Amino acid sequence: MKLTIDGKRIEADGKKTILDVARENDIYIPALCDHPILKPFGGCRLCIVEIQGRRGFAPSCSTYIEDGMDVKSDSPQLRRMRKEILGLILTEHPDACLVCTEKKNCDEYKSTIRKVGEVTGCVLCPNNGRCDLQDVVEAVQVDKVDFPSIYRDFEVKKNDPFFDRNYNLCILCGRCVRVCHELRGASTVHFVNRGSEALIGTVLDKPLRESGCQFCGACVDVCPTGALTERAIKYEPLPDGSAITLCPFCGMGCELEVMLKGERILSARPSKNGIVNQGQACVKGRFLVKDTVYSPRRIEKPMIRRRKELEEVSWEEALDFVAQRIKTYRGSEVAMIASPQLPCEDAFVAEKFAGKVLKTKNVALATGITPLDSLENLARKYGINPSFNFKKEDISQAGVIFLTGTDLAVSHPLLWLEVLKAVRNGAKLVVASPYEIVGNRYAAFWLQIKPGSEDLLLGSLSKVILEREGAGGQGIEGYDSFTKTLDKLKVSRITEETGVDEQSLMRAAEILMQGPSCFIAGSGLTQCSREDANMAALWNLVFQCKGQLIPLGLENNYRSSFEFKRNDPSKIKHVSRIIQDTRNGHVKAMYLIGSVPLDRKEKADFLIVQDCHMNEIAEYADAVLPAATFAEIEGTVINVEGRIQMFGKVIPPLGEAKPDWWILSRLAKKLRRKDFDYKKTMDILQELKKTVPAFAKINPASLRKGKTQFVGEREGGKPKFLPLKLRDRITKIEKKFPFTLWADYNLDCYRNLILSREIRGFEIVRNSRWVRLNPKDAKSQKCAEGDVVVVESPAGKFRGIVKITENIPEGTVGTSFLWSEGLEFSVARFISSQGKDSRFPLPVRIKRGK
Amino acid sequence: MERINHPEELASWKSEILSERLSSKKTIVISSGTCGQASGSLQIIDAVKQELEKRGQKNKVDVKVTGCHGFCQLEPNIIIYPEEIFYKNLKPEDIPKVIEKSVLKNEIESSLVYKDHKTARLAHKQDEIPFYKKQVRLLTENNLKIDPTSLEDYIALDGYQALVNALFNMTSEAVIDEIGKAGLRGRGGAGFPTGRKWEICRKADSEVKYIICNADEGDPGAYMDRSLLEGNPHSVIEGMIIGAYAIGAQEGYIYVRMEYPLAVKHVNLAIEQARKFGFLGESILGSEFAFDIHLIEGAGAFVSGEETSLMASIEGKRAFPRQRPPFPAQEGLWGKPTNINNVETWANVPLILRKGADWYSKIGTRRSKGTKIFSLVGKINNTGLVEVPMGITLREIVYDIGGGIQGNKKFKAIQTGGPSGGCIPSEKLDLQIDYDTLAKAGSIMGSGGMIIMDEDTCMVDVARYFLNFTQEESCGKCVPCRVGTKQLVGILNRITEGKGEEGDLKRMEDLSKTIKAGSLCGLGQTAPNPVLTTLRYFRKEYEAHIKSKTCSALVCKGLIAYTIDPDKCVGCLLCLKNCPVDAISGERKKVHVIDQELCIKCGACLDVCPPKISAVAKVTGSKKARILKNASGKRVKK
Repeated sequence: MKLTIDGKRIEADGKKTILDVARENDIYIPALCDHPILKPFGGCRLCIVEIQGRRGFAPSCSTYIEDGMDVKSDSPQLRRMRKEILGLILTEHPDACLVCTEKKNCDEYKSTIRKVGEVTGCVLCPNNGRCDLQDVVEAVQVDKVDFPSIYRDFEVKKNDPFFDRNYNLCILCGRCVRVCHELRGASTVHFVNRGSEALIGTVLDKPLRESGCQFCGACVDVCPTGALTERAIKYEPLPDGSAITLCPFCGMGCELEVMLKGERILSARPSKNGIVNQGQACVKGRFLVKDTVYSPRRIEKPMIRRRKELEEVSWEEALDFVAQRIKTYRGSEVAMIASPQLPCEDAFVAEKFAGKVLKTKNVALATGITPLDSLENLARKYGINPSFNFKKEDISQAGVIFLTGTDLAVSHPLLWLEVLKAVRNGAKLVVASPYEIVGNRYAAFWLQIKPGSEDLLLGSLSKVILEREGAGGQGIEGYDSFTKTLDKLKVSRITEETGVDEQSLMRAAEILMQGPSCFIAGSGLTQCSREDANMAALWNLVFQCKGQLIPLGLENNYRSSFEFKRNDPSKIKHVSRIIQDTRNGHVKAMYLIGSVPLDRKEKADFLIVQDCHMNEIAEYADAVLPAATFAEIEGTVINVEGRIQMFGKVIPPLGEAKPDWWILSRLAKKLRRKDFDYKKTMDILQELKKTVPAFAKINPASLRKGKTQFVGEREGGKPKFLPLKLRDRITKIEKKFPFTLWADYNLDCYRNLILSREIRGFEIVRNSRWVRLNPKDAKSQKCAEGDVVVVESPAGKFRGIVKITENIPEGTVGTSFLWSEGLEFSVARFISSQGKDSRFPLPVRIKRGK
Repeated sequence: MERINHPEELASWKSEILSERLSSKKTIVISSGTCGQASGSLQIIDAVKQELEKRGQKNKVDVKVTGCHGFCQLEPNIIIYPEEIFYKNLKPEDIPKVIEKSVLKNEIESSLVYKDHKTARLAHKQDEIPFYKKQVRLLTENNLKIDPTSLEDYIALDGYQALVNALFNMTSEAVIDEIGKAGLRGRGGAGFPTGRKWEICRKADSEVKYIICNADEGDPGAYMDRSLLEGNPHSVIEGMIIGAYAIGAQEGYIYVRMEYPLAVKHVNLAIEQARKFGFLGESILGSEFAFDIHLIEGAGAFVSGEETSLMASIEGKRAFPRQRPPFPAQEGLWGKPTNINNVETWANVPLILRKGADWYSKIGTRRSKGTKIFSLVGKINNTGLVEVPMGITLREIVYDIGGGIQGNKKFKAIQTGGPSGGCIPSEKLDLQIDYDTLAKAGSIMGSGGMIIMDEDTCMVDVARYFLNFTQEESCGKCVPCRVGTKQLVGILNRITEGKGEEGDLKRMEDLSKTIKAGSLCGLGQTAPNPVLTTLRYFRKEYEAHIKSKTCSALVCKGLIAYTIDPDKCVGCLLCLKNCPVDAISGERKKVHVIDQELCIKCGACLDVCPPKISAVAKVTGSKKARILKNASGKRVKK
């Protein structure tokens, strides 16, 4: 299409608005309600333009280009109208400073006056200097407002975590409403009232935390004024720089732009150019970065235990101490546990250190068993070749999405946004989960299964589809045994044991057959005792529907740990094995670069904790080595899609903290190893490239430039139905232990730091100590919200804080599985005390009080 | 009766119905729309039924409860057929008399028939009443004859014949052609040619299309659509089915404001009946055409009458309008091509198809065809719904149909088109009403509100009233409408309070232009019309308010003062006792005085002062200034 804007000839294609095209061609048109990531709104009316041959004025933000269009973005009349409209906006927004003749001279006097309760002018506003309204006033050149101002005198809403809402500054552009509805799907805020009383608000004016808010902060990021302001930056100076890093809190690998004042982090916000996140993040990436780095629990100096006390020492002294002591243990006496939140380079050096220096095979990654692990087991056993890589667009382009084993909006928030995109484009979402997930309302169908009955459900879906239209897989290996097993499956049993009736199964199967489908599997599917059977059942179902299987990993760099393990499975053990070996004394020295739930008595004779923050276990340690956080190092991580991304250093390490690879290689040198002579992370990456096949094809130089690459995948394998081993009946519920314990891997930690414990405000959003109960159960157990309860099984117990929610079905106790959680509250410790390979679901009972 | 599967079945049903109805049978028709019920028609119905029972006439006389007949001022009223005797303003105690005389005998109770207030002539039939004489009641006439809960009544009056005609004798193109030729224009206000609108939607490339009936009638004082939906819901449904056939829509929505419970009830009933008898649903009347209608109740926001926000509301969203294009015919309800017309437009459709475009296009002016229903209210003698042919003059409406101004006061202005319309002054009384002439005069046809104002109306106050309405009803989405109208109201408030400033008029004109040109939807784009037209025709009144602080209509409290004429006051203490703030001082048989500082201008003194004395007066401008000056002079003396 050819069009002219202000006499400039422009060629443009597609469904674009005049404003889009003008921006692309560096033609400035003032606009306040428009935002590049949101749909056109047409509310502020500042972007009006004249179009040749059309009556009146058209808002360029919501007028689409047409061939031959002749647009005028500037004329005396447009200027007059814009001034008047902007003047009207300013009547509702404190404008004294905006139109003040002295505003340029004011800068030097206003350094601290922002610390006031009431914002009556820009100099008192936390957003001064980063305000779209200021920019537009500048551009439109408003120097006086002709109308009396209308101060609306609202009370500033401060009763939610992370950000305040000062609607006295709100210009009703609706960006927050739109981002919440269009992009995030939370639909927490909306316009309320009408006429001049119109405002943004929640249902019945409840706090955000009671209105379904996920605190992703997207609204704060799009707000053009100071109406929504992150509390953490309110009294901070304006940033003088910024740096890019990758969010460490989950497997998405969102790019964050960290705002800096000198070498101090002020806040972090999702980077607009992030390949994975494009300006979006979740509560953790948006609001927790700063507090994680500057936590009072940060370890800033090496410490060693002398005369029963931990004493701060120099690095030399600490490393000598560790080297001397660790030398005395050999092979199987030593164990190392590393967090999958370490970047590839550090994880690689840790593994290499364990193998070559400690010479032990007791290496574990503190994490659960994910669908990736199960698939890998099946691949080894049956010769299939599942793909572990995917692209998030695979989800948004699907016609049918089957989601099981995870609350995606919590575990992988950015993938949830892709699901929402698909649903908006007409895709059908089928959720199979024991409890109501966030955004369950977007599901076309919710199969509410009893905890632990996944394989039965998946098998019966296969059965229904087979009966409907055949598997279409006759002749494919495994078909006969697959169909035979299904023949034996009785419908009556399905309804009884999964809790899903036949009709629902039929309807869900009908949807699944519509395709093109993608099946998202989270760790809920593999945390129960029959993970491989569940995975095999899903594999067959996916195969039947010709869909795409998307297995989800957990931590931010889980995939790299997985690839290391794949490379040499004999090297890596499951963490619960190591815990057991430590308890029964086989492991005498432990090198912890992660966290395990062991108490003072159970700990190894010699315990090294190398981490960023102090926690219960670090208190018992014999040596504590301060590691630098993600913001203080550079490195490479692989996200849940299998995408390799590199990130740089934002600030120098706090105190004497050092990168993990640095500490380990220094220690190796002390132990006279020569093959740990790394100068920089790039050296490690080059070695990694040579050693681990999945990294063989990476191009470090291009990664460094910010380009991403995918993990190399294996070739071969053949299409195959896997043998279905349907389990026996679920053990009957015991009278003494009437509840079923279930846990999410919600990853609300950074290495050993529990976010909900240590970062103020986050515990309101999610708390890893929550014991979630259905209101009816809470009533029958006489529990009130916030009560501390004890959850017991014959083999152990843990404590938790009651959270009453309709989302949990009756008879189920929902918890969070976090390795680093405090011992008393540790579900992980509880599980590992249940005996060998014990997993969810578990029968438990609840007791009030301590 | 079963579902109708063939046009012939409909024809035989109709003749069956007609054969059962004897034209000689006595029938009492009771008007009982919302307006009738508000005036007590329900008690009349009870009284009629009781009386007939008492007199053993229950089976000999039919009682038919219908919708509104239009002449609201005469509610509750009844007509007794076959003699067509029209009784007005009845009370339950009148009923025995009426039945005695006109049902049992063929006499007329002349105390209850219409008496022309000018000529004092009695009119015992509706047709003889001047209010009805000049009307052309194409759409509203059937309101007299139809029990809105009875499909049979509608069928008996050729109901659904137009649908048969369309479905079995015409292609969809031919239907649109006919509507186009008839020259029907949208009755919702803007007057877009209906045929062209349908054509655009028909040509839109989509398998799914919708049609909508906009029954979110929100203009203050307008109730044409309510009357049609309450009184003759099948005519609207039939129009919609024909429209759906022409456009190729499978589903339709009627969006009614929930403040119209009777309309909701009758439309829901009519939809059920239509479904039951095969006018809606699969294979309508045995044809291949399938269509269904759903009723949606609006929550009462004025802006929901705007088509894009109405659709948002149907979708379950906040009723926010959105930028057009894309127009609903391109991307409407749920993103699908949608045709949206107002109730009255839909009701015209069966009429055109039944009687033909040629017949229809003969009514009206060159560019505006057919009739238009107005709700005639305000300071006029005959208030009610009037259906007049396009091209009739305002004078005819005001003086012939409306019977002139109440209390023989002077006509000042007529406000058409509701809050979005404008005020037309007496100089323009000979304006022939159609879409274009009204627009030229600065007003709009609108949905048909017509408010008559007399000399006691302050035009600044009128503008303020309407602006306040739109300001409160603005959806809040776009700045010029949300904040602009608020500022306009602010200026108007100041002027009416006597705080008007030099330059206010210019400021209002500029701001009005910005609001008109800058607003997103029709609500904002027309909101300043009341200000602009009053400024155009009554500028002197504004200037008087600002410069000499005079409100010649004596309405604006800030500009008036109450005073007691010492020459007339007899010292009766009445005003003194009734003053709520004790601002009046005086003794029996001594002249009373109002303390202007204390007076809150409630007007109680004026109301209670006996008319033959009429010592209390309202004054403004220089007179007021003089009184204030005197008063303050006295205070100093004290």
